Amino acid sequence: MRALQELLGASKVLGTRDELLVYEYDGAVDTATPDAVALPESTADVALLAKYCHEHDVPIVPRGAGTGLSGGAIPVEGGVVVSFARMARILEIDVPNMRAVVQPGVINLHLENATAPYGLHFVPDPSSQKACTLGGNVAENSGGPHTLAYGVTTNHVTGLEIVLSDGSVVRLGGKAIETEGYDLVGAFVGSEGTLGLVTEATVKLTPLPEEKRTLMAAFATMDDASETVSAIIGAGIVPSAIEMMDQLATQAVEASVHAGYPLDAGGILLVEVDGARDGLDESRARIEAICREHGARTIRVAASALERERLWAGRKGAFAAMGRLSPDYYVQDGVIPRTRLPEILRLVKEAGERHGVRIANVFHAGDGNIHPLIMFDLRNGPEELDRAKEASIDILTACIEAGGSLTGEHGVGMEKNCYMPLQFAPADLAAMRRVKESFDPAGLMNPGKIFPTPSRCREFSLAATR
Amino acid sequence: MPRIQPRGDAVTATALQAIPANAEDCAELLVRASRERRTVRIAGGSTKSYLGDARETDIELGTMAIAGIVDHVPADLTITVRGGSPLADVASALAVAGQFLPLDPPHGERATVGGVIAANANGFWRARYGGVRDLLIGTRTALADGSVVRSGGRVVKNVAGYDLNKLLVGSLGTLGVIVEATFKVLPLPAARDGRLGRFENAADAFAAADAILRAPARAESIAIARRDGAWILLVEARGDAPAVGRCVADAEREVRSRGGSTDAFAGGLRDLRELPERATDGALVRLALPLAAQARLAETAVSLDTFRELAADAASGIQRMHLVGEDDRVVADADALLLAARAVGGSGRVERRAQRLRARLATWSARPHGEVLMRRVKDAFDPAGILEPGRSVLAP
Repeated sequence: MRALQELLGASKVLGTRDELLVYEYDGAVDTATPDAVALPESTADVALLAKYCHEHDVPIVPRGAGTGLSGGAIPVEGGVVVSFARMARILEIDVPNMRAVVQPGVINLHLENATAPYGLHFVPDPSSQKACTLGGNVAENSGGPHTLAYGVTTNHVTGLEIVLSDGSVVRLGGKAIETEGYDLVGAFVGSEGTLGLVTEATVKLTPLPEEKRTLMAAFATMDDASETVSAIIGAGIVPSAIEMMDQLATQAVEASVHAGYPLDAGGILLVEVDGARDGLDESRARIEAICREHGARTIRVAASALERERLWAGRKGAFAAMGRLSPDYYVQDGVIPRTRLPEILRLVKEAGERHGVRIANVFHAGDGNIHPLIMFDLRNGPEELDRAKEASIDILTACIEAGGSLTGEHGVGMEKNCYMPLQFAPADLAAMRRVKESFDPAGLMNPGKIFPTPSRCREFSLAATR
Repeated sequence: MPRIQPRGDAVTATALQAIPANAEDCAELLVRASRERRTVRIAGGSTKSYLGDARETDIELGTMAIAGIVDHVPADLTITVRGGSPLADVASALAVAGQFLPLDPPHGERATVGGVIAANANGFWRARYGGVRDLLIGTRTALADGSVVRSGGRVVKNVAGYDLNKLLVGSLGTLGVIVEATFKVLPLPAARDGRLGRFENAADAFAAADAILRAPARAESIAIARRDGAWILLVEARGDAPAVGRCVADAEREVRSRGGSTDAFAGGLRDLRELPERATDGALVRLALPLAAQARLAETAVSLDTFRELAADAASGIQRMHLVGEDDRVVADADALLLAARAVGGSGRVERRAQRLRARLATWSARPHGEVLMRRVKDAFDPAGILEPGRSVLAP
């Protein structure tokens, strides 16, 4: 720590026990204490730091706002946590080129607010957008409710400045839609801090939709709601968002946010269409008709921006509202082809019953990206967390068997790295390792993430072979 | 074991042709070639063999037998196809279900899925629907070590592990052979319409294009060409009828407010898209530009003595300029355009040139950002360097 202070200046390094405690956590359930925390103020600081760590064989763990849900910012193998809290400037809003150039610590919502006056926005809007940073979005390839029509972070990044683990600074891409050679920007986005540190990102800005129509439909059962999702897509409508919530989640949300969701509904859909105002009412009417055909009991169309915000506040505040139901929860992020929704939701329910845990569901139905919130109470002992994890393994296994994925937007991190062999064959992982070694031959960037580690994953591999 | 046969075709510099029957055969062929240090060229529809500075290879690996639809669940809006499948076959299969893969690359009638991915071949639809990199959600690839690896999957949202798909898009076959691909698809739009605008100068044409790009009803294509001394703006919209109507009405207004004249849309996009197909003489320069730099570069191109044709995707900042004339002039003008593109923060390549110019005019005149990393990636995937030598921007 003293060496780091000499290198960067005392004000940019934290190292006392109390200071480090704050950096033990992120939005997931695992914790680990860093050896030191660095707060760089420039790319040069980051490069110096990386070079130092490289010379001394110290792991580097980047951290944005710590809202990640897979333990990505946890220094599981110790080392220096690099917080980007002081690299939080929007460097440029380039309206003619429809790009913004930002430092990694810029908060997603701040960028949205800064670009709105120009009629533009950065599309990915994770539920944590009030806190999460662009650097974190790039690392995790974050999504959000509106990715169904507009894509995830990787579809909206054209350039990066990164610092590699040896301290070299590399610029990739730029403001144009593509550059010559391999698409290293594309390979980097979603690499969860394991390939390098983002020190600057150039992102696309997209025109704001002229108008939106948002409707909430309440169904007797989750099956009805999920069949409605397939029917909407099947009718050739691609809404900008289709979100779903079960009764347990609805009750928690209503208790905290009062979004106006009916408490007796078995399943709630929130559907939004946007774009030019022309034809939007027709689309909305078609969606309403499909909802009714599938047994919707209540349909509410937001009549004002305020009502729309209220409907969305329920959805975006859903994870936070879980505190009403349980002191702790564990959220999963599996993906399945959307036509398999009804079946996977039944499997989720069964997994909860089998392991004796309550599970609420709030998720991106249009993408087939489920978010089972598995509740537990650590005050009752660590075995509750174990049961939550067992239920989640069952759920993820079912997702993969249905042709899906372990994670749609939260990342693998240290939470699901042991499960990667469920989805990928050894050769697939070996190919990913080649990319890892190309960027970070020293293996110092965010170790213990994405790839299964022999020490931590032994238990799981044994369980899987039993 | 795949067949390897001497090739009778005297035109090609390739001695042997191999047509693996499936992914595993393909991988086996690659590992054998690696071991024997025999170089490999990959051929799908052979529509874009002009790309890069490809050298002679020992083997031409044809992907035509690795073809067919693997899976298509219409309600999931995804399709999985084998790499050697012609894009046209994919389009027909999707049309039956009222869907389409929103890619409109050049040579679309004969190009294969694998070739379109490897060449990152996009058309004018890119700004509206996304390009190859945005629509491709999963791949299986045969690698030089004999493995067949999967990246991504069949779901539209997926962040498990690195996105190797992105590395394959535009890799020009230098990392492996794409044997299977999964794409996002869309319902076929119900209505279509378009407008043609005619301008005296480039600035007005590109300003109108920019306004249309930012308009609420999104156009499917916003293209600019140069014809008979005028700048021609081609705007086409597809979608629900009310939105298409609005798009066209707005486009008409944007054209007129800048002093342009409008006309009914009578096609013409296909002709622009296929510029690479007919640019067999001289040099075809392809640039990727920041949006605001487009007018200036287009004007520069048109002012050159060797200028023959321009095809610009004004919604994405991609421009193709066909230069024809005395060899010395073509070489100098192509270099000048590439330099100008770099000066405004863009990049580019000589996409195609006459056979006799290949020795004088390299595809790339500058090294890309991140070249060291690209080289490491290439060496990690193809340590023996057998795949498509010279094809990519990486120095040999």
